[in-house]
Amino acid sequence: MDTPGYVILSRLTVQNRATAVLANNVANADTPGFRAQRMVFAEMVERGRDVAGPPSLRRTAYVQDRATWREMESGSIAQTGNPLDVAISGEGFFAVETPRGERFTRAGRFSIGAEGRIVDIEGNTVLGTSGQPLAVAPGDARIEILGDGTIRSENGPIGRLRVVRFENPQALLAEGDRNFDPSAERPIPVEQPGLVQGAVEGSNVRPIMEMTRLTAELREFQFATQFAERENDRLQSVIDRVLRRRS
Amino acid sequence: MRSLSIAATGMMAQQTNVEVISNNIANLSTTGFKRRRAEFQDLIYQNIRRAGAQSSEAGTVLPSGAQVGLGVRTSAIYRISEQGNLQQTENRFDMAIRGNGYFQVTLPSGETGFTRDGTFGLSAEGQMVTAEGYTVLPGITIPATARDVTINASGEVLIKLDGQTALSNVGQVQLAIFANEGGLDAVGGNMFLATPSSGAAQQAAPGQAGYGQVMQGFIETSNVNVVQEITSLITAQRAYEMNSKVITASDEMLSTLTRLR
Repeated sequence: MDTPGYVILSRLTVQNRATAVLANNVANADTPGFRAQRMVFAEMVERGRDVAGPPSLRRTAYVQDRATWREMESGSIAQTGNPLDVAISGEGFFAVETPRGERFTRAGRFSIGAEGRIVDIEGNTVLGTSGQPLAVAPGDARIEILGDGTIRSENGPIGRLRVVRFENPQALLAEGDRNFDPSAERPIPVEQPGLVQGAVEGSNVRPIMEMTRLTAELREFQFATQFAERENDRLQSVIDRVLRRRS
Repeated sequence: MRSLSIAATGMMAQQTNVEVISNNIANLSTTGFKRRRAEFQDLIYQNIRRAGAQSSEAGTVLPSGAQVGLGVRTSAIYRISEQGNLQQTENRFDMAIRGNGYFQVTLPSGETGFTRDGTFGLSAEGQMVTAEGYTVLPGITIPATARDVTINASGEVLIKLDGQTALSNVGQVQLAIFANEGGLDAVGGNMFLATPSSGAAQQAAPGQAGYGQVMQGFIETSNVNVVQEITSLITAQRAYEMNSKVITASDEMLSTLTRLR
């Protein structure tokens, strides 16, 4: 008889986590290459006891936060004028070598690190098509990055940026520092990634959507709380009535 | 309530953003100033369910995981090295660089500093120095008897001496360029130092391939664009407000919970 209370509790729990996902989107509205996330809700059905009536009466559906889903559309591309900033205009990710293994990112904010290697903002080496680091010679001053990822300077070619895509980009694990862990997904090289030099892709968070959703989530939360309150009243009245009949 | 602390990281990041913008606006008329921009990065994630985990005994696999990110942090504040406007000063030792490159200056510490600020003058010994009195490399001395000084586009300093019709060359200003200008370390006073990230300075005379030209009697103004800064300020303020809205909403959720009988 206390099932409604638990059903609504499952709703409050997931709503809390969904708001955390939303808060993270808003906090990262200015993070290059960031992908907005959404919580996906699913019903979790519990088979009820054998009661007469239509099948729908015999089941209780709790709500569960099944997965987070990543919005994969591109963010806005902003010109920065830095020669080592690269934005991917289409599908794809850059590959960087981190201490934890190869990671993938959309944020093409690169610079030159020790020994002339092209590195990301954390100092991780950016990888070329054959998985080798890309190094700029001390004499190279004008670096040019072409649409297909080829990097060259006035002294000749330097290499080609590794740009890959994934069959199921939803399965990538966000790791922080704008990087994605490929987990079980296999990277597929992109032949013509359409890179733009001197620009960086912004976050794809749309503030209007987030704010509207925030209001909706707040109201749903309050609605669920109110339901819990009414449920409490109902139980109380049942108890009162039962007691009155006894006395 | 994770959303409370997540939104707090967002507010802190936007505060840094506003600080950077206010520094840009404060340096609106600093000669050779390059505007800066704060850069953000997502913090770590908590995995509620990992992608690729088995969802049933039949071996079905979750197509995507459930991840909750924990906010944002400032990762870098970088310079945008766009050309600033050139302003005529009529001072014959002032120089502006049109294009790539930095003037080289010997700092009191003995290190070589790099600057785009070409407000130069002469020292008591007739040496070309910056407004702070640091020697401009490669050390050009102009004799007191010089009547007229001309600096051409390739940085050659030509003087006119009494009784001579031809101009005599007393030296040539050298420019330095870097593989990664963004990696230069700003030390204040319009001065930069080379770092492993910027790469070593490549020196050559102005006007050569890859190097800018020198313009006498001009200085390069700051490349801060007020309209752009004010627009970013508005965006930053709104972003700050949105994060505070998230905090208010989370607070309201908590208060509904505490009011629950």
